[in-house]
Amino acid sequence: MKLQPGRAAGRPTLEVLPWAEFPVNEGGLCRKGWTSTGLRGSRERLTTPLVRDRETGALAAATWDEALDLVAGRIAGIQDEHGKDGVAIFGGGGLTNEKAYQLGKFARVALGTSQIDYNGRWCMSSAASAGTRTFGVDRGLPFPLADVEQADLVLLVGSNMAETMPPAARHLDRCRDNGGKVVVIDPRVTSTAERADVVVQPVPGTDLVLALGLLHLVIAGGHVDTEYVESRTHGFQAVADSVAAWWPERVERVTGVSADELRALADLVVSTRRVMILTARGAEQHATGSDTVLAWLDLALALGLPGRPFAGYGCLTGQGNGQGGREHGQKNDQLPGYRMLVDPAAREHVAGVWGVDPDSLPGPGRSAYELLDALGTDAGPKALLVFGSNIVVSSPNATHVEDRLNSLDLLVVCDIVMSETAAMADVVLPVTQWAEETGTMTNLEGRVILRRQAVAPPRGVHSDLDVISGLAERLKAPITFSTDPEEVFEELGRASAGGKADYAGISYERIDAEQGVFWPCPSPAHPGTPRMFTERFAHPDGRARMHVVEHRGTAEPVDAEYPLHLTTGRILAQYQSGAQTRRITDLPDDGAFLEMHPVLAARLGIADGDPVTVSTRRGRLQAPARVVPTIRHDTVFAPFHWLGVNRLTNDALDPASRMPEFKVCAAAVEAQA
Amino acid sequence: MSTPEINADINAGINADIDADLDAGTSDQQDGRERLVVVGNGMAATRLVEQLVANGYPGHVTVLGDEEVPAYNRILLSAVLEGTHDRDAITLRRGDWFAEHGIDLRLGSRVLAVDRDYGDVMLVDGTTIPFDRLVLATGSIPTLPPMRGLIRHDGSLHPRVHAFRSVADCEGLDEAVTARPGSRAVVVGGGLLGLQVARALSLRGLQVEVVEATEHLLSRQVDEAGAKVLRRSLTKLGTTVYTGARVTRLVDPPSGGSVTDDGPVGLQLDNGFVLETDLVVLTAGGRPSTALARGAGLEVRRGIVVDDTLTSVTDGRISAIGDCAQHGGVVHGFVAPAWEQASVLANRLCGGDVTHAGSRVVARLRATDLDVAVLGDPVGADGEVVEVSNPLAGKHSRLVVQDGRIVAASLVGDLSRVGIITQHYDHGTVLGIKEHGDLLLPDVVPTPTVLPDEAEVCACAGVTAGAIRACTSLEHVKESTRATTGCGGCANACRDLLAEKLGAPVGGTGGTRPHAAFTTA
Repeated sequence: MKLQPGRAAGRPTLEVLPWAEFPVNEGGLCRKGWTSTGLRGSRERLTTPLVRDRETGALAAATWDEALDLVAGRIAGIQDEHGKDGVAIFGGGGLTNEKAYQLGKFARVALGTSQIDYNGRWCMSSAASAGTRTFGVDRGLPFPLADVEQADLVLLVGSNMAETMPPAARHLDRCRDNGGKVVVIDPRVTSTAERADVVVQPVPGTDLVLALGLLHLVIAGGHVDTEYVESRTHGFQAVADSVAAWWPERVERVTGVSADELRALADLVVSTRRVMILTARGAEQHATGSDTVLAWLDLALALGLPGRPFAGYGCLTGQGNGQGGREHGQKNDQLPGYRMLVDPAAREHVAGVWGVDPDSLPGPGRSAYELLDALGTDAGPKALLVFGSNIVVSSPNATHVEDRLNSLDLLVVCDIVMSETAAMADVVLPVTQWAEETGTMTNLEGRVILRRQAVAPPRGVHSDLDVISGLAERLKAPITFSTDPEEVFEELGRASAGGKADYAGISYERIDAEQGVFWPCPSPAHPGTPRMFTERFAHPDGRARMHVVEHRGTAEPVDAEYPLHLTTGRILAQYQSGAQTRRITDLPDDGAFLEMHPVLAARLGIADGDPVTVSTRRGRLQAPARVVPTIRHDTVFAPFHWLGVNRLTNDALDPASRMPEFKVCAAAVEAQA
Repeated sequence: MSTPEINADINAGINADIDADLDAGTSDQQDGRERLVVVGNGMAATRLVEQLVANGYPGHVTVLGDEEVPAYNRILLSAVLEGTHDRDAITLRRGDWFAEHGIDLRLGSRVLAVDRDYGDVMLVDGTTIPFDRLVLATGSIPTLPPMRGLIRHDGSLHPRVHAFRSVADCEGLDEAVTARPGSRAVVVGGGLLGLQVARALSLRGLQVEVVEATEHLLSRQVDEAGAKVLRRSLTKLGTTVYTGARVTRLVDPPSGGSVTDDGPVGLQLDNGFVLETDLVVLTAGGRPSTALARGAGLEVRRGIVVDDTLTSVTDGRISAIGDCAQHGGVVHGFVAPAWEQASVLANRLCGGDVTHAGSRVVARLRATDLDVAVLGDPVGADGEVVEVSNPLAGKHSRLVVQDGRIVAASLVGDLSRVGIITQHYDHGTVLGIKEHGDLLLPDVVPTPTVLPDEAEVCACAGVTAGAIRACTSLEHVKESTRATTGCGGCANACRDLLAEKLGAPVGGTGGTRPHAAFTTA
């Protein structure tokens, strides 16, 4: 999209225009896009730092100097008493690359803390973990999104693209117009499923078994791409033997997908050449999420898909900068360029760019949920700085997280509005929103795009880069932190040089000229890499790794007390924690609801619109019932944009990705008396 | 990772001598690790060993398999026969996997006896292997009908007669089928395995007849009405079924000549009828393989009697799992209970205290064009019966319900709801009073209605049907409402609304089309 300043009723306005030439959405926008300037000039915007009065508990306006002096002073005191790790940072997948990069550097150099992670851990980290292990690198889509249109068959595993990224769904329609088929795998017949050729509705948390079952049939029928498997992969035989135990009727018992459906799906998969498997949060947000992605990757490799034109595997990254947010060092274990914090060569390179001693960099810290879980405990951080995240709405087991936040000595939140998390803070810092700042983002295709500042921010509002720089200076950091995005981006390029996500050859100028540049792009002369894996994978020997995975089941199986599966997700009119979208008047905000099948509603004596209570071992929520025939009989669904839904969700973590099990837990539903 | 031992090499076979084993035994005793010997290398044994590896079992494991081939998925043998599965695709664990995990796998090692006093097992070649813990996972052996002429003087089956239990049986039958395209076969036994083999042979182009001794097919799993439906389906598929008939002897073929090794044979039934055929396949059930346990003096009834810890009630060092074990008075012949037992036993061998409370069994007929699912014991279970039967359409579904829960079910000819019914059965879900019946009936297809003006047509831009109807063209829709400009999914709906108003189709492509949803639950 493009922005155009205008005037209405004598006041300056900002108008959103479609940008038809941009290949990702071709100018297509949903109402979240059209209304995205809605917080400009809104009364909801924070325009002055706020500091909580210790006597009254009320937030009161302060100057930037007062607020930053206070924060820096408290940080220094806490670190004196509790050590460097006494202070933690929680970042966000919506931050620009420049902010994400500066935040990681700020944590490790200015604060010297290992305690930094971000909400992207709860987004695509299972796919990232599996992609890294299988391919040697994690890039959401290793091909442009528009390649979907040329595929023969697209398998969407746990993606409701038509609601979560509506313009992208156009590519699905084109795929079908071109004679391709679309399969949607989801416990609900979503609006994405409504435009698919085939819908498969497994029990929540069983996508892994579905993949093993498909691979079983692919092998049984002799449809493995043997030449590809032999020349480009490792580990096939062990995987093949392990799936001999997943015959269709056994898959049926676990997934609820009948053996005949599975066979029909397998027939579809083996009868076409350009098969594209795309996973999203439905498959990934589980305590077995990374294994689930590994299983789909095994299937993709057995069929010889990755690297084949208009075929392969991809992860549909969710947040605005979900891809870039994970590459530049705001993850607990990573340095810029997707380098690992434990790798001595990586430490030396990055420390060299930063101008600090490699030994001064702390090691890996806690992952997102483990970090929040440790807050205010004896061994955990006593202060938390939050950038671009509304933790109390978006965390699993949110009541517990709220307790942890309450036990902190210092909570600092940078936000554009008074989010639920900001409302708990000791210090709230008002920061710029997208149209008011310049910065790059890396989209789900690995395409680095540039968003130029369109308007001046409201008076009193500063960029996150200013906050980082101001605090670093007050904390007497050994180096200075630039507040100029382009300068930061150039440094980011040097820091990422030679890393897996190599931005060294990308400049603002090139991004403008080329409609974005795909990483890796190691030098200015390099064209960028729209399509990966055509010749080799990113492991040193160029081969992909296949992995034997076992079905472990959900962390919290249903039982007599909590007999239903609760799953969560998004709706079109709202975004993530809703901090912004719930404040935009043109977007309908009807609050949370509980979706259930008429069969279940009849069993419980509930009619459409009736107030119901849904409870889990962690909390209760009251919401109106939405009775629809498109969901499984044994599953209920609630959108997570409102405070309360995540009080129900399970904080069991994936052992590899540390992803919480947002997408399934055991629940009970009753009509309200 | 340990060095592969020679016995783990599947090609090496049984070439270990007694001294080597004694040495191995001594060294194991010296390192103080528990010596676990598993007799059997079938599905239960494989799962046990997998779970031991997963749980980090610290002892030394020896697996003794009497077949020469690596562990395979026995229940897919009929699929291999039919040709839907590659032979190689059913291998579960190869020799190198055992070697990698330091497990001493000995293929082609038949155990002669268990000596509880010495605490060892003796192989047919005289090798003895000492154990601290012993697991019997010996499975079952096919029951041969009392039939004259079946067994030859050297103890082998008549060459026209095949059992169907092992991969060797499967390969033998496959060869016979390949050698005589278009020939005739009689399958003796109308249970799950018999019907699977019958369908496989039929799909291989054979003329197949099934002989079942009881009054109806699948008599242990489905009621008479269900069996009738099944029989009708089989007949339609070209397979003749004889029920209430036992085979009594192999006789000269009625068409003339006499019984030879490679000519046709006659199969006499107890009702006097003689079936002429080129092949006979025996699938009339199996019995637990308990000879070793009996020989060792363990308590054996139908199977080796074990308690909730899967340990023999006679000897605390010895356990039994799978088809050879009798737990809670029950001997299963299915994989799922065998695997549940293997997991429980592995947990206990690794120091856990999990116990086995019995299994829920879901039996599925794996036979192309025959749809049967059996949950629990629908013939014997107590409860209210909810039944939908339509023999004309080849469907018969029966749910047995106790206190709102499905405690058993048989579904014949209609598996459209098998997924959700199985979930309810496995989880013991308490259903509403109409729900059981509704589960057996197809969904009512709603008739399309006229969209009310307030219905949302375009979710991306939040546009109602009324707003679209107020427009004059698709361009007008785009400009004034922004509908169709987001995901594009409403394009067809908008065209329909305009056409309905203008009375003529509106051009263009894209948008929602009807889809085929496989699943309804």
